[in-house]
Amino acid sequence: MNAGLIEFLLRRAVGFVSVLLVLSLMIFVLARVVPGDPARMALGPAASQDQVDRMRAQMGLDEPLPVQYVNFLGGAVRGDFGTSLISGRDVTTEVLGLLPATLELVLATLALMLLFGVPLGVLAARYRNRWADTVLRLVSLVGVTMPAFLAAILLQLFAAYFLMDWPILGRLDRSMGMPAGPTGLLTIDGLLLGRPDVTLSALQHLAFPALALSLSGIAQIMRITRSAMIEHQRRDHVQTLRSFGVPGRVVTFRYLLKLSSVAPLTIMGLEFASLIGNAFVVEMVFAWGGFASYGLESILQKDLNAIMAVVMLSGLFFVVANLAIDVLIGLIDPRLRMKGGR
Amino acid sequence: MALLDIRNLNVAFTSYGQRTHVLRDVSLRIEEGQRVALIGETGSGKSVTSKAVLNTLPGNAAVESGAIHWRGQDVLRWPDSAREGLKGVEMSVVMQDPLSSFNPVFTIGRHLEDVLYWADRRNDTRRSRRDRRAHILDVLRKVQLGDGARVMEAYPAQLSGGMRQRVLIALALMNRPALLIADEPGTALDVTTQDEILKLINALVETEGLSLLMITHNLGVVRMMADDVYVMRKGVIMEHAPLAELFRAPRTDYARDLIAAIPPLYGPGVKDQPAAPVSEAPLVQLQGVHKTFAARRLFAPAQLTHAVRGVDLEIQRGEIFGLAGESGSGKTTVARMVMGIMQPSRGRVILDGTPLDQAFDGRADRRLAQIVYQNPGTSLNPKRTVGQTLEVPLRFAGLSRSEIQPRIDALLDRVGMPALFSSRYPHELSGGQKQRVAIARALAANPRLIVLDEPTSALDVSVQAQVIALLEELRSELGLTYLFISHDLSLMRNVCSRIAIMLRGELVEQGTPAEVFADPQHPYTRALIAAIPVITDAEDAAKPRVTDEEKARFLVSSAA
Repeated sequence: MNAGLIEFLLRRAVGFVSVLLVLSLMIFVLARVVPGDPARMALGPAASQDQVDRMRAQMGLDEPLPVQYVNFLGGAVRGDFGTSLISGRDVTTEVLGLLPATLELVLATLALMLLFGVPLGVLAARYRNRWADTVLRLVSLVGVTMPAFLAAILLQLFAAYFLMDWPILGRLDRSMGMPAGPTGLLTIDGLLLGRPDVTLSALQHLAFPALALSLSGIAQIMRITRSAMIEHQRRDHVQTLRSFGVPGRVVTFRYLLKLSSVAPLTIMGLEFASLIGNAFVVEMVFAWGGFASYGLESILQKDLNAIMAVVMLSGLFFVVANLAIDVLIGLIDPRLRMKGGR
Repeated sequence: MALLDIRNLNVAFTSYGQRTHVLRDVSLRIEEGQRVALIGETGSGKSVTSKAVLNTLPGNAAVESGAIHWRGQDVLRWPDSAREGLKGVEMSVVMQDPLSSFNPVFTIGRHLEDVLYWADRRNDTRRSRRDRRAHILDVLRKVQLGDGARVMEAYPAQLSGGMRQRVLIALALMNRPALLIADEPGTALDVTTQDEILKLINALVETEGLSLLMITHNLGVVRMMADDVYVMRKGVIMEHAPLAELFRAPRTDYARDLIAAIPPLYGPGVKDQPAAPVSEAPLVQLQGVHKTFAARRLFAPAQLTHAVRGVDLEIQRGEIFGLAGESGSGKTTVARMVMGIMQPSRGRVILDGTPLDQAFDGRADRRLAQIVYQNPGTSLNPKRTVGQTLEVPLRFAGLSRSEIQPRIDALLDRVGMPALFSSRYPHELSGGQKQRVAIARALAANPRLIVLDEPTSALDVSVQAQVIALLEELRSELGLTYLFISHDLSLMRNVCSRIAIMLRGELVEQGTPAEVFADPQHPYTRALIAAIPVITDAEDAAKPRVTDEEKARFLVSSAA
């Protein structure tokens, strides 16, 4: 870490904080212009006007809008999004309880994207315009165009018909209960608690939802990796190393791969947004019980406080992931570190 | 037995089903310890020849017939693995462009390490990591990179062009090859750096006992670097002669034209441009012009770059004013300020009596000043036909639809191109034709000043001569004034009526070419002129002398 990289990261961090601010403003305005009085919705049609007014005062809805926004922002920074209009429980507690499930799914998805996307891209580039490349490109086209909910349903059907004992709903076999581990990620908690059976079962449950979510990402990353490899293949530095007898495989897997990994990483950061969006649906299909399906339910029930919490958390997810990717890219490419980034 | 003996080599490329015959019956011999030059213009096949020898031809190329004998054995009959064994060990290549020849995300040391490691593997040499490092530092010292440890830790972008070129030579020397193939070394660098690099290669050939195949387009370089010369054109060896004989009595017209196209630096062949009359109202005046660029930093104070420091100059009407200097000297920044594309930080630019800050939001009047860029391949929009390109300035000049087409035809005629080229796309044109289109575009608005930013440096010498002739003709017929920016002093000697030399943002010398070249006042000017490769001994003798102490003061050495 030198001054150049730190400066580059600080610039990005400032940018990301402003993204979150704009997002908070948008979701706040949206919540206030949606027809329907939150206080009335919380109390139900039977409540008297007097009760509703008291509720409004309690929720701070009688203050001017800017003051309400500042209150909302202050709460959001402290992680306080108020209580759910439907269940009456603290939104933050509910969402945090569901967060590990979604986090596990998203991490598994990202791992699959890299694990399959990059090697397939390298393969396609190496056998460019031969049959392997043609097949991969065709399949990837299907991957890019197929919506995640369709993939989810198809994969679920496949598992149900052909893999008789394969679990297709939930995160874990019901008989195992919900072991309380330190991380909340079942695959890891299973190992930490010395319960390999939990890890195994969690992995089984994870496989198809993660695959459904990662399909378009795998295809996208494969295509980007392929074109980056081909692009750099033509450069003079490849000729330099080859002319001195450095074997082609070393040039490809060490020199070209590192140079070509910047583009797919960048794409992964962008894919992250659609990944969270798709998780809303895929979690529903597989009864995953993460915070994404909680978000979907909140939207259907117009539970405004819960919606705001879910949106802000998704935004935070996106921003943190992209910051992490920027650090990675900064470590890969020395030119970013030297110039302080552009 | 010759070290390398190429006999009747035929190579063809196939792309999109089209077969192109790029080498026709090429024969070339290099004896042990000999320095051989292969000279030719763009597309002559000289680099293809070297790639055929090294076995690094692209996938769509095929050797159709002929033989390449290495120490008496035809390597074309060898399996690929055996030919791979020659690379970097028996024959090594010095690449041309020192920036793109390195992978930007790996250190210089990583490149050197890997090349040495894999060469050792093929030779069954066992060396520890520490021995490899010691050997690399040793080779870096040979190419006069003293601070080898720092060079190895650096990423390619952190070294200067000259240092990278030295590292490329070090890569080639790593395993004491018998033959060094140098493909236009130093061409992309400043003339003083190129001079250093060529002298270094010559010294290494001597001390290491190498043979040299020098591939170049520059006859001046050939004179410095070769005993035996092959002249190549369109895949055919036109002429083969010892160095002295080629320059004294070239046998083919092509070789004669090639030699004649080179602008002489000294001697009877030099052309003196008539000086323009000095008037009260020069076309361009720069008064105390400064330009500072600031890179803002978050933690440190802004980094200031003084690109131009206190430049005063006047360009008379009808003059060809040459602005010379090496990369980073600020000559292009001056040109941009004259065009009004960039505002000076201090001082004034006056165009035709009007200070630029008052007129047209600081932009130069389009009808007054136009620019022709260095690379016509990138300054013309590839998706527009020649006619569409020329139409743009004409519409801005306020011509009606019916007037435009006749004017386009007239402009093309003006630059010596038939009207039917109007419907062609840039990729259908040669480099010289593209530059003619760029000139026609500059002429479209009937300007009085044209800024020529290295107008011929991307062109072959024979094409350069034609473009220069066209520019001279246009000047006298249309009464134009040129600001001619270049690093090629021998060209400027013959083309400009006055020249100025820039060094690190300052004008260090100004005068007519005859004065400046006969008696250069500033040591930097002397160093620049002395570094130009020339083609006769008489010119070499006429060049000014520079002491090492002066060189050290004004040139940034690429040795570290």
